[in-house]
Amino acid sequence: MAIRVNPRFIDELDRYGAEDVQLCYHCGDCLTVCPHADEVFRFPRKSMRLLQMGLERKIETTLEPWLCYYCGQCSEQCPREADPGETMMSLRRWLIARYDFTGIARAFYRSRTAEVLAIIGVALLTGLFMLFYGFTYGNLHVYDGEGAFLPSSFIHRFDLTVGLVIGIILIINAFRMWYFTMVKGMEIHTPWWLYIKHLYLLPWHFFSQKRYAECESKRETRVFMPWFTHLGLMLGYVIMLVLVMVFIEKLQYGPAIVWPVHIFGYLASIGLIIGTIYFIRSRLNKTYVQFKKSHGTDWVFVILLFFIVITGITQHLLHRTGLYMWANMTYVLHLMFVVPWLLRMPFSKWAHMIYRPLAMYFAAIRRDALYRAEKQFSSASITVK
Amino acid sequence: MRTGVFFCQVEHAVNLNIDAIAKYSANLPDVETVQILGRRPRLDAIALSDLIKTNNLNRIVIAGDMPGYYKPVFTKSMALAGRDTDEVRLASFQEHGARGDIALERAKAIVACANMAVPFSLVAVPSRHPVNQTTLIIGGGIAGIQASLEIANAGKQVYLVEQTGTIGGHMAMFDKTFPTLDCAACILTPKMVSVGQHDMIQLMTNARVTEVSGKSGAYRVKIHQYARRVDVKSCVACGLCAEVCPVKVESEFDAKISLRKAIYIPFPQAVPNAYLVDGESCTYVLSEGQKCGACLKRCPKECINLNESDIYTDIEVGNIIISTGYEMLDVRKIEQYGYGRYPNVLTSLEFERLTNASGLTGGRIVTKSKRFNKKTQQDEWVFTPDSVPPQSVAIIHCVGSRSAKYNSYCSRVCCMYSLKFAHLIKEKIPNVACYEFYIDMRAFGKGYEEFAERIKQEGTFVIRGHSASVDMVDGQMIVKGEDIMNDKIVEVKVDMVVLAVGLIPSHGTEDISRLLGITRDPDGWFSELNYNGNPTDTERGGIYVAGMCQGPKDIPDTVAQASAVAAGVLRSITSGKGIDHLSSISLSEIEARAKNISTL
Repeated sequence: MAIRVNPRFIDELDRYGAEDVQLCYHCGDCLTVCPHADEVFRFPRKSMRLLQMGLERKIETTLEPWLCYYCGQCSEQCPREADPGETMMSLRRWLIARYDFTGIARAFYRSRTAEVLAIIGVALLTGLFMLFYGFTYGNLHVYDGEGAFLPSSFIHRFDLTVGLVIGIILIINAFRMWYFTMVKGMEIHTPWWLYIKHLYLLPWHFFSQKRYAECESKRETRVFMPWFTHLGLMLGYVIMLVLVMVFIEKLQYGPAIVWPVHIFGYLASIGLIIGTIYFIRSRLNKTYVQFKKSHGTDWVFVILLFFIVITGITQHLLHRTGLYMWANMTYVLHLMFVVPWLLRMPFSKWAHMIYRPLAMYFAAIRRDALYRAEKQFSSASITVK
Repeated sequence: MRTGVFFCQVEHAVNLNIDAIAKYSANLPDVETVQILGRRPRLDAIALSDLIKTNNLNRIVIAGDMPGYYKPVFTKSMALAGRDTDEVRLASFQEHGARGDIALERAKAIVACANMAVPFSLVAVPSRHPVNQTTLIIGGGIAGIQASLEIANAGKQVYLVEQTGTIGGHMAMFDKTFPTLDCAACILTPKMVSVGQHDMIQLMTNARVTEVSGKSGAYRVKIHQYARRVDVKSCVACGLCAEVCPVKVESEFDAKISLRKAIYIPFPQAVPNAYLVDGESCTYVLSEGQKCGACLKRCPKECINLNESDIYTDIEVGNIIISTGYEMLDVRKIEQYGYGRYPNVLTSLEFERLTNASGLTGGRIVTKSKRFNKKTQQDEWVFTPDSVPPQSVAIIHCVGSRSAKYNSYCSRVCCMYSLKFAHLIKEKIPNVACYEFYIDMRAFGKGYEEFAERIKQEGTFVIRGHSASVDMVDGQMIVKGEDIMNDKIVEVKVDMVVLAVGLIPSHGTEDISRLLGITRDPDGWFSELNYNGNPTDTERGGIYVAGMCQGPKDIPDTVAQASAVAAGVLRSITSGKGIDHLSSISLSEIEARAKNISTL
């Protein structure tokens, strides 16, 4: 197989945040301290090497960037200050752009202006559409039920449409990821039943994020706060997504409180608000290694999320207090934040929600397949008795 | 000649005011254009050739720290413009010693000389004046010993000032030298003895230089000689005093892995071969004569005088050689290697003493064993002659060297001595597993690469990949690293870890640089006059550097440099003329001389 080298690859990655890759002199210290590196998946040094050599087509088949959770010990350790942790992060950004077939992710990562303009555009379109619909078919002073400004059935249909669009894009991207990593990247045969054997890993990693916590296993003073907050943020998000996609009629019902539904909403809101405040504060204070360098897209993510939570809670409170007109206006504002944020999802860091569990799943399959192949080919492992 | 002056990349010269130099060079004759291109510009030969054509230049001066780096692009641009490509002149600030107080004036002079196409070293020769015949050598390591012997054998008086109780320095602590595996003591001790016995060498041990005044060629030096408290002439080093001495402290000579008494001799072959009293730990000295005094009663020659006071000596010398050497980086700072936490993690110097045939185990390589200390009521880990030898040893290179956090430079000797350790371990312990974790193998000298190959063939696992973690699991040390060449992770259980610790200038270097007015480079080593052409001279007339204090180097290089210094000293003594300080020659003088030469 011919190996294609892209000498400009390192410059390209520079725009995704990996600035100091050239400094690396391959001592291997980063791998030594990495709690996730093992015999099969050796990183970050190898990824740094591939990057320095410009093996773009090779990197797109690797799973290593997804196995890194950026605890930052490699960057603390690095004698060259080449920042391997940030390099892995940048590779994840690049991979998101690479998996994305639309090319939007690439444009967002490379130009902050493009991203901000797109967000503002989508927000304005959403706002105008909602106002148009509300003033045409509803009454601004009614929040719920007959003649509502934004009736829940309409919102439900709207949600499902947006969800469908995102879902299709994500499925195509996930399929591309599978093709790159498991078809192009595998030179050995992968039995189909391995996919079934390791299927449980998908929900397991999705909901536990166990590996994020394992990041701390080698540290002397362990910091579990980022993992805990990240988990809270993620669970809050998933609960909210389910509520909005399935139970929107109940959620929007009022002014009485529907406890079986709303209690989840409250819990999720608490998780989201604590999470976003924690991450914004950490990024400002740069307390933990992984927060020391913030790409523009990281800021957009947390700040938008913060506003979504604030407007969501406000419109809920306004609805309970009977200020229906204000509640409706805030609702429109809320949707103006939600829709661009949701639509941005497959093209941003946020997509790691899907890619990470998939990567763990693929990694387990790959490891198993490698062990099987090794067993078949190495005569030393044959035991007669 | 229509000249263009271009300033490129001024990195090290932090206190250089480039604008001032640029303004000065604009007023030089024939200078048409002056351009500051800044730091590391990407130069375009075509654009430069256009610039040359529009200004009609036929000479180019590139000024900066590394102007040679830009010479090709300027030559190309001259060729493109159809001019004489030989007329690209370099004005290198770094090479011609533009640093310290005189940096600005000197940088101007360098540009002026380049502008007139006159070699700087031809005109910037300070005046000569008579020199005193005697020489002072600060530091009695191998560099100081070699230089003093060279000068004294030529019949000139030498004062050798050494801070510790004996000369010999670090080399006396070593067992073998690389790559020949000669016994270090066999090379060094005859030299030490001849220093001790030489008529023309006045040895001052336990002494420090406290004050230097006077002018080049006639320095007045004040030397503070700490009280030895033992008469060097009558002491026969019988050792009876140390037998009765009740005070035990860590031995500096043994890299603090063994204990010595308060009255001690650093090692049996010390020169001068006499005991000395450590005033900081001796009970008698600390109690001002109230307690102890056991050694006074025991000494058969009655040569101990615990009430002796310090001696201050004033001498006048013509030349001064600095050979203050190095010390080890404090490896406790680098926490991941567990030095200080795990007992059997050793620094290279500690291992050197352990494996030395005259060391505390008689050259047996053993692990530390636990012993109960009655005094402190705690367990402590010590080397005892009956401890067990390690079954596997890991040697980790580049500890604190080539790192952005500690020393940015390569300490140069570590690779080779680590390989030597591997050989000694393999030689002394049968069936031992020895692992070398390295980043790049820097076997740079004569016979070094062959030595490295030989060590690999001896069965040492030489692993390309640095290890950054030493862990202790159930009393077993585990060293983990990446084997980059074989593409796998190495996790080895070891009984001993030897850290090849980086070197730093010795702690007195700063004082000496202040006393003598010598600049130091950013890493703390003394700056030589010109790295390539004049590696032993400094910008001060009659002051020279030799050995490690100028930068890390191995024993052959140190000895060679020491001999080179001796040649410089003898040149000035025998000709009777010494060179003045560089600062003594002013800018206008250099300009006038350069003009004279260029009009010839």
